[in-house]
Amino acid sequence: MNRWLLDHTQAVSDAWKRTSDRFTQFIVLVCLLGILLAIPGWLAQIWIGMASLVPEDAVRSEAIVFLKQDLDVEARIDLERSLSEMPSADEVVFVPRSAALEQLSSQDGLGPIADLKSNNPLPDALRLKFTMQGVGASEDQIIEKLTSDQRVLSLRYYPSTRIQYASLVEMLGFLGIGLSALTIIGVLMAVFLVAAADVVDDRRRIELYTLLGASRRFIRRPYLYRATILGVLAGLIACLVVTLLNEVLSSVLASNLEALDTRLTNFPMDGRILIGVALIAVLASWVGAERAVSRRLKALH
Amino acid sequence: MIEFESVAKVYDGQREALSNVNFRLAPGEMAFLTGHSGAGKSTLLRLILGFETASSGVVRVAGTDLSTLSGEKLARYRRRVGVVFQDPNLEDDLSVYDNVALPLRISGFSESEIPKRVKAALSRVDLSDQATARPRVLSGGQQQRVGIARAIVHRPALLVADEPTGNLDPELSARVMRMFTQFQQLGVTILVATHERAVVESLPFRRLVIEKGSLVSDGMGTNR
Repeated sequence: MNRWLLDHTQAVSDAWKRTSDRFTQFIVLVCLLGILLAIPGWLAQIWIGMASLVPEDAVRSEAIVFLKQDLDVEARIDLERSLSEMPSADEVVFVPRSAALEQLSSQDGLGPIADLKSNNPLPDALRLKFTMQGVGASEDQIIEKLTSDQRVLSLRYYPSTRIQYASLVEMLGFLGIGLSALTIIGVLMAVFLVAAADVVDDRRRIELYTLLGASRRFIRRPYLYRATILGVLAGLIACLVVTLLNEVLSSVLASNLEALDTRLTNFPMDGRILIGVALIAVLASWVGAERAVSRRLKALH
Repeated sequence: MIEFESVAKVYDGQREALSNVNFRLAPGEMAFLTGHSGAGKSTLLRLILGFETASSGVVRVAGTDLSTLSGEKLARYRRRVGVVFQDPNLEDDLSVYDNVALPLRISGFSESEIPKRVKAALSRVDLSDQATARPRVLSGGQQQRVGIARAIVHRPALLVADEPTGNLDPELSARVMRMFTQFQQLGVTILVATHERAVVESLPFRRLVIEKGSLVSDGMGTNR
């Protein structure tokens, strides 16, 4: 077996020995780290999952722009073009007054108004659909501009659910981000403290290895392997907890989901969240061990 | 082998641990470093082991100025030095064999070479029959001999011992010193820090006496 492989095999077995010596402490730390990391993971899952649940119509604002009766075709096309070029506008559809009358007459109880075809009182209109990413401020600007436009008779604006609840959503978003950040800081502090305590326990061993001429890499290796095992296990627990919580939430919301959109039968789990949570667990644990051993080695000199 | 040239060590800018220390130890020479607790023996050894750098002056080992070493170079230097402590500092979760093999594994010796060297080192300290034992089942004297085997297993050119007989009875102390004498006869340079006058006076080796950080005496001891 070559030297590199031998060194790493020895480091893994050393890491495992250290883990089994403090098995209870290790398991408590794995569970603590896993559960704490599941909190931001689940918040992110709700955040991303909810966005995918809301029907498209509810997240897109719309405006019906009624045009003046005497507007010529060229002016109408010019308005239609200038609207479609706006970054917040996703789609502009011309609705001729004949089509509007036809649609209106097809609704319950309004059949007789089809007789007005020859003397149609309805104006031509443009149906403006905003983009899903549109923000309230830019939509407001467009509406304001259209209201003051000489070619426009009047307009109806139907802001999206997202824009209607923008301030609430924004506040909840900040709360979620704040809570996630606090949890992650808590996780990092717990991991760093435990890693530091671990290294303090091994102070004599680190000094001995340094005296015997071990390189920093050689000394660090078992701690980093142990940290990786801890991070992987904690990441798995965090993923499991997030998935389980998502299942519970799905079952609670199942009936409501169908009412919201018949195509939706479950609360989809986002794989990026699971990968992110697992990566944070491994990185936090790894950085904690690396930092603790480096500080100990630095203190020796 | 070891050369101290006007070496001073000051901690925190005011506490002077060593002051103007000058001495040379030739290759294959053995010397005792004596003095009361707090006289500066440990600081001097830490300078030789590269755990401290001199505030002024030069510490050279085998011609290398230790202040120029750091990182991997310093680690490589330490692999050429054997160290014996008052407390043998053995790893309890490793067998005697694995404890002795530790410097070889750190130095990257091949797995075929390690058993030969460990066997030879254990035989030199009369512990061949304890290779598989755990350190905690050994007596204090046996543990110290394991520590010595670990210090010589990689055949260092320099052996540094810090109070190696501090925890041993006179008979075991004499045995440990006999071992050091044998190593010296094999060409190893040895510096033994001790405050036990009986140990120092029983052997005809050079004696460096340090007091309040200064080298106050450097001469040959007398064999009683």
